[in-house]
Amino acid sequence: LLSYFRGIVGGKTIVLADLKPALEKMRDHLISKNVASEIAVKLCESVATSLEGKQMGTFDSIASLVREALTQSLVRILSPKRRIDIIRDALESNRGGKPYTIIFCGVNGVGKSTNLAKICFWLIENDFNVLIAACDTFRAGAVEQLRTHTRHLNALHPAANHNNRTMVQLYEKGYGKDAAGIALEAIKFAHDTKVDVVLVDTAGRMQDNEPLMRSLSKLIKVNNPDLVLFVGEALVGNEAVDQLVKFNQSLADYSSNETPHIIDGIVLTKFDTIDDKVGAAISMTYITGQPIVFVGTGQTYADLKAINVNAVVNSLMK
Amino acid sequence: MVLADLGRKITTALHSLSKATVINEEALNSMLKEICAALLEADVNIRLVKQLRENVRAVIDFEEMAGGLNKRRMIQSAVFKELIKLVDPGVKPYQPIKGKANIIMFVGLQGSGKTTTCTKLAYHYQKRNWKSCLVCADTFRAGAYDQIKQNATKARIPFYGSYTEIDPVVIAQEGVDMFKREGFEMIIVDTSGRHKQEESLFEEMLAVANAVNPDNIIFVMDATIGQACEAQAKAFKDKVDIGSVIITKLDGHAKGGGALSAVAATQSPIIFIGTGEHIDDLEPFKTKPFVSKLLGMGDIEGLIDK
Ligand SMILES: Nc1nc2c(ncn2[C@@H]2O[C@H](COP(=O)(O)OP(=O)(O)OP(=O)(O)O)[C@@H](O)[C@H]2O)c(=O)[nH]1
Ligand SMILES: Nc1nc2c(ncn2[C@@H]2O[C@H](COP(=O)(O)OP(=O)(O)OP(=O)(O)O)[C@@H](O)[C@H]2O)c(=O)[nH]1
Ligand SMILES: [Mg+2]
Ligand SMILES: [Mg+2]
Repeated sequence: LLSYFRGIVGGKTIVLADLKPALEKMRDHLISKNVASEIAVKLCESVATSLEGKQMGTFDSIASLVREALTQSLVRILSPKRRIDIIRDALESNRGGKPYTIIFCGVNGVGKSTNLAKICFWLIENDFNVLIAACDTFRAGAVEQLRTHTRHLNALHPAANHNNRTMVQLYEKGYGKDAAGIALEAIKFAHDTKVDVVLVDTAGRMQDNEPLMRSLSKLIKVNNPDLVLFVGEALVGNEAVDQLVKFNQSLADYSSNETPHIIDGIVLTKFDTIDDKVGAAISMTYITGQPIVFVGTGQTYADLKAINVNAVVNSLMK
Repeated sequence: MVLADLGRKITTALHSLSKATVINEEALNSMLKEICAALLEADVNIRLVKQLRENVRAVIDFEEMAGGLNKRRMIQSAVFKELIKLVDPGVKPYQPIKGKANIIMFVGLQGSGKTTTCTKLAYHYQKRNWKSCLVCADTFRAGAYDQIKQNATKARIPFYGSYTEIDPVVIAQEGVDMFKREGFEMIIVDTSGRHKQEESLFEEMLAVANAVNPDNIIFVMDATIGQACEAQAKAFKDKVDIGSVIITKLDGHAKGGGALSAVAATQSPIIFIGTGEHIDDLEPFKTKPFVSKLLGMGDIEGLIDK
């Protein structure tokens, strides 16, 4: 009986010391779910601020109040303030006689090219035809990887089924060339031949490799895309923070534009490899304030989902 | 690498202990708190961090300890021991034998850097006059064979693969047999990326391993990985006999602490680290010299043996 009443401190005003043990537990719990530790700390601090000085109800326990407040703030972080509607925006671009352009960027090996191909598949299923611009002119096999996807996608959606429109084409100039220039040519080609959407693949790069970050910034500035998507893998730990901060910073600093185009949204990949350690979703959205536009959940074209906020929060709080 | 960055923080933390007028439970706890926070920021597995904290606490008995100097020494030594455990599984890595066919199989999660590292390793040995070659047993990833082909051609490393065969087991077997007959010494087999949640991919990995009977299986881990590493590494180890670890992408900002769970989970030493996308961005890794360099104290061996 005693232990039952222990957690219930009815009517009491909450002070920081009451919260501390529960918050420390929560912080460790979030870290164990792969939330970046800096963000886990900040989240717990904001929960503390929101609860401190509040009056407790008779049946409240500190632990449950902390849980509730944290759950709410996780939902808030994951719920986009701005919805990105690619279909609507692409249609609008096309009505104006222009192709809709998306640039994919991110560090090495996270799944940029594969998820670009999945998004291409999704666009085709929505009756858009697509030009893939092979702007990774560095990594061995990068062009052939996209050529293979182009072939597979056309086999799944032959022109015969789409009023003789070829649904996906590859624009490539081999290796070693300037990526920004190839993207520019590709967009022009798409414009001239009335292709609906251009998907620009870029080479993976480390966020503090200055020459490579400068060239990404140039690629974006020169081509003025409709959407810049950052591709990050759900496996990433604390680096999620540094990656996003530095990608955004580089895009801003090196663009010499008054209003530089920074990251508009996130593609969270390899979500199928992490069980319930879904914390990277929080780290990435917390840092950017931008929505997770797609979640990659496997290696086939169909493995592309929209984020389920409640499911993610449930996994985090489990 | 993680411990290199941690070195400074740990030295600072230990230093605070030297400055403390009394070395008591409180001083120890605050030092441990600092060290643990630094480890967590570097992605070290939270379970390993908690264990480290408990292990240090367990060996320090304030009642029994005598003078201040002795206390400090004991605490330092306990912390060092635990840190070393993180990178040193205490087993010797496989040593390739010159003049014989050494079959090395690469495994790991998707995109961790296997294919790139395969070529780097072949090149590393080729430069040292070993007859090295590559077998591409990844028939899944689009462009995988072209990737190896382009890398190998540039480095003039013989390679084997196929555009038409879809069974990686067949390719691995044929490639290894061919290169064995031709007297190659370092035969490196690249495989597709995979993860524990997809059982068929793990079965395929086992089938390739059974077909080529490797002398060493290398688990390639990306330095940016967070808390999911441990479960994956353990699942790989449970399926095939991993003998070594390579941590890639350490040229970035990542400290690689998450990847260290691979050492713990596979009980295998790190043998190389990847520090860039180019073919010579590969550095041999030796645990013991690394640790003593990191801790920057000549008599570390003396310290921990007591
Ligand atoms: N399990 C799983 N694997 C994925 C997912 N997305 C991509 N991959 C795999 O991750 C690996 C790397 O994917 P890529 O698309 O080549 O990555 P990238 O970012 O383009 O790589 P670079 O161009 O070399 O920087 C491939 O083996 C993909 O099949 C996903 O959602 N789940
Ligand atoms: N910066 C950096 N990039 C690396 C390093 N090692 C590999 N990469 C890059 O990481 C990306 C993925 O490398 P891959 O070798 O294709 O990875 P993989 O494990 O073979 O991928 P899958 O076969 O799809 O599972 C490529 O862009 C490589 O250039 C490294 O040490 N540093
Ligand atoms: Mg790519
Ligand atoms: Mg590969």
